[in-house]
Amino acid sequence: MRALRWIVIVLGLLFSGLPLVWMGLSSIKQRADAISQHPRWIPAAEAPVAPDSPRFEATTSAFRDLASVHAGAQASFWEHLLNSAIIGFFSTLATVALGTLCAYGFSRFRVPGEKDWLFFVLSTRFMPPLAVVVPVLLMYRAFDLQGTRLGLVVLYTVFNLSLAVWLMKGFLDEIPRAFEEAAVVDGYTRFGALVRVVLPEARTGIAVTAVFCLISAWNEYGFAMTLNSSGAVTVPAYFAGLQGNIEGMPWPQVAAGALVFVAPIVAFTVLVRSHLLRGVTFGTVKQ
Amino acid sequence: MKLTALATTLFLAASAALLTACGDDPAKSAGADGSAPQRLVVWWFQWAPADGLQELGREFQKESGIEVVVEQIPLGSYQEKVFLEFGAGRTRFDIVIGDSQWIGRGATKGLYLELTDWLPTVVDLATIHPRAAKYLCEYPEGSGKWFAAPCETDAVGLAYRKDWFEDPAEQAAFQARFGRALQVPGTWQEFAEVAEFFQRPDAKRFGCSLPSDRSYDGLTMGVQNLLWAFGGRWHAETSNRVVGELDTPESAAAIEFYKRLVKLGPKGAERLDYGQVLESFTNGSTAMILNYFAFFPGIHAQFGDRVGFAVVPAHAGRRVASLGGQGLSISTKTPPAQQELAKKFIAWFLQRRVQEQWITKPAGFTANADILASAEFRAKTPYNAPFAESVDTMRDFWNVPVFNELLSVTQRYVGMAVDGELPTEEALKQLAIEKERILKDAGLL
Amino acid sequence: MSPDSAPARRRGAGIAWGLVGPVLLLLVAFNVFPLVYNVVLSFTSRELVGDDWRWVGGANYERVFTDPLFAGALRRTALFVLCAVGAELVLGFVLALALVRGFRGKGAVLAVVLVPMMLSPAVMGLFGALVLNGNYGVLNQILGGLGLPQPQWLSDRGLKFWSVVLIDVWMWTPFMTLIALAGLSSIPAQVHEAAAIDRASRWRVFTRITLPMTAPLLGLAVLLRATDALKQFDLVMATTGPNDAATQTLSTLLYQVVFRDGKVGLGAAFACVVLVVVIALATVFTRYLEHLRRAREA
Repeated sequence: MRALRWIVIVLGLLFSGLPLVWMGLSSIKQRADAISQHPRWIPAAEAPVAPDSPRFEATTSAFRDLASVHAGAQASFWEHLLNSAIIGFFSTLATVALGTLCAYGFSRFRVPGEKDWLFFVLSTRFMPPLAVVVPVLLMYRAFDLQGTRLGLVVLYTVFNLSLAVWLMKGFLDEIPRAFEEAAVVDGYTRFGALVRVVLPEARTGIAVTAVFCLISAWNEYGFAMTLNSSGAVTVPAYFAGLQGNIEGMPWPQVAAGALVFVAPIVAFTVLVRSHLLRGVTFGTVKQ
Repeated sequence: MKLTALATTLFLAASAALLTACGDDPAKSAGADGSAPQRLVVWWFQWAPADGLQELGREFQKESGIEVVVEQIPLGSYQEKVFLEFGAGRTRFDIVIGDSQWIGRGATKGLYLELTDWLPTVVDLATIHPRAAKYLCEYPEGSGKWFAAPCETDAVGLAYRKDWFEDPAEQAAFQARFGRALQVPGTWQEFAEVAEFFQRPDAKRFGCSLPSDRSYDGLTMGVQNLLWAFGGRWHAETSNRVVGELDTPESAAAIEFYKRLVKLGPKGAERLDYGQVLESFTNGSTAMILNYFAFFPGIHAQFGDRVGFAVVPAHAGRRVASLGGQGLSISTKTPPAQQELAKKFIAWFLQRRVQEQWITKPAGFTANADILASAEFRAKTPYNAPFAESVDTMRDFWNVPVFNELLSVTQRYVGMAVDGELPTEEALKQLAIEKERILKDAGLL
Repeated sequence: MSPDSAPARRRGAGIAWGLVGPVLLLLVAFNVFPLVYNVVLSFTSRELVGDDWRWVGGANYERVFTDPLFAGALRRTALFVLCAVGAELVLGFVLALALVRGFRGKGAVLAVVLVPMMLSPAVMGLFGALVLNGNYGVLNQILGGLGLPQPQWLSDRGLKFWSVVLIDVWMWTPFMTLIALAGLSSIPAQVHEAAAIDRASRWRVFTRITLPMTAPLLGLAVLLRATDALKQFDLVMATTGPNDAATQTLSTLLYQVVFRDGKVGLGAAFACVVLVVVIALATVFTRYLEHLRRAREA
């Protein structure tokens, strides 16, 4: 049984980890090595002489090339990353602000039809982007929002509200009301009590909510590629858009870019690791 | 709480950085107002000819002061991006170099500016090769209504490893096996035999590769070279009828033959886009490829004398090359001042002296019939002569407004036949019915 | 949920609406409006470009219900949800069983195992296409090195669908592991001790105690994943493209119809049908969530 357990763990590690290792290796290759017909998996200082050698010359050129505009693109990887960052940041900011206020309302006040409203909020999460993208596209054309950062900021904000409301409501419900009541007795206004007492208490919840909203906006592809195919293009749409390039996919740059792209997400995830479960289950499961 | 402190610091740092970044976000407008320098934006997909056009654009700027920017979009998403732009109020491009099939949609939906009256004032239409005019510029075909000026004229051709073909050991082995000399294949049967001969997967050496991608139009552009040669057709000669025209034994034989060919390539040759076909050749593993001539200058630059070029093989004396290439169309959704700039550029581009320059640029191929016919042009490179010959035989897929629906079903059903998911005859039968339904819905039948 | 005792709750319905109103308005604007607009569009011949459209009555719906394409995409999506989520559940649960007991380095192992679900599916799909490439993909190179057959993952008609499933399983097994771990570690130690005293066999303990006690959480995980898998778009776009008969899902078919063929009206009709299915599933999901909450409170 013990042995079996370890076999499962090792297999699981390999299954999850090997593709990531391969991605790391690909990012320090030249393109020819990345698509070589002979496996090349040992980084070396110099290019090997034998054509079927498993060694390849390690290089950081793929990372350097992220700064230049690749054929078939109008901007460099960093500019696309900046788009992703701006869109992700502002949509997260807006989602968390709106979501927290809304969750506070649901948590502390009597809202007629509260349960129905909450489930309505949740149900919006199930909408497949491709099923609603046409009306959104036509709407965005009317307001000239197609291909703008603002357009995606608004869309991702709305898209993530359900997550933010549900997560924040869970966190706010855990903060005893007595705290605010005491503050009000001390002379704070309701709003003052919210800002000075409730929000500081809920800071972990806010951080967790922000991370999950950011991840979702960061990785989104369906809306990004259909609404922002030529302007304010985010990283997933940029990489996917290189498909069918006559020059072929620049695999080392894709791998290098993907590593850079996932780094902040992994870092943030590590920060909220003890709340991971809560985040992925809309706050319904607490650890 | 450490976590919160760290998160707050990160958050503040990120906000500061992003707000700074937002501040100097450059306003990217095409600059149509009088004071700004004149700038013309051209969209094309990413490939060598677009680099050539950009070089010509710089010459144009020297002569006229108008800057020309050729933006290159990956082919895989080019169509969607262009039509999403056309759907918006104003396109980011002034000129779009649209794929030949798009012209029906561009013309009937009011996206391409009609050039019928203007074009004859800047160029003698008789100098434009009739097949280029018919397929790249006019809609409906041969109607005399012009919606584009020819830019890149292109056709499918054959590139092969001359050094392998000329290797005495290979020649002897081929002679022993097939009882004839190892030569550049003139017929599809010969092509298959040569491919079979060079197919050595254990040595990572392969016979041939052909466009076969399912995403946009690769498979269709690959198959139709055989389809027409074998006596098949997409639709009736004089009408859009498909049933009884496409589902014939000749078409089925062509697809069956194509199925045989994809097995004689690298693994995964059942779905290679143009770039991957090219790659299978440039990585030195494949003996012959079928691809557009516009890719061949790059191959020649890399391999020099070790490669040769030829027209596509024939069958029973019939040889038809799949048309490629694109025309320059002016967007109706760009301000009139920009349209005038676009006309200036097109007029300049179509001049004989510029066309002569165009053919010296990377992968630039002209539609100028006089140049194509000249001995000087044909002798200039190893690929020019087969190219000029191919232009005389090239044909195109549908270019009606619903071309993409027709293309979608073609890709899907021919794909199912090639994959063996449906028997070929059955796939063609269903495809013909589907196509007639689409054409009827569009009022074209 | 705590009982309604606080007096503050009874006050200020105005403030309450002020707090929740903006969010509800936004959600209505961006969800209900597109739904209604979709319904309107679905009765027209509107296209992606050009302004010449007309009312076509139920023609688009007739096409949706008669075209084998739509039925095929629906069937394929259902199969995808079933197989991908099923495999993720089984693998994730097995991995969670192996990981539930503490050991040195568990945190690090967990971190590596959980990474794939944080990544962008669009980018990982592309990368999957590189790994699975029949000619130079590393998976086939490994298989070849071991003397095993090298299947054509992304071009064999029987395999390409399963290759997309495989990438999805790679990405989302960690999700199941995460939730199953929570369920497993919530089983009180006394329960296992009691079972040990009763000399219950391992199998009995598993089927009578472990499974029933983790089932509610696993149900939640399955529902969450299923609603996600139903939207499957990114991976198919990155591996086989939207127009491959063997892998076309609901979302990629919608893409093909709307953005390639330009048939906005037809796409809207199709989207309406999809949305009915999605709304039905969402209802089941929210009911289940409610049920789960009640069960936990009891």
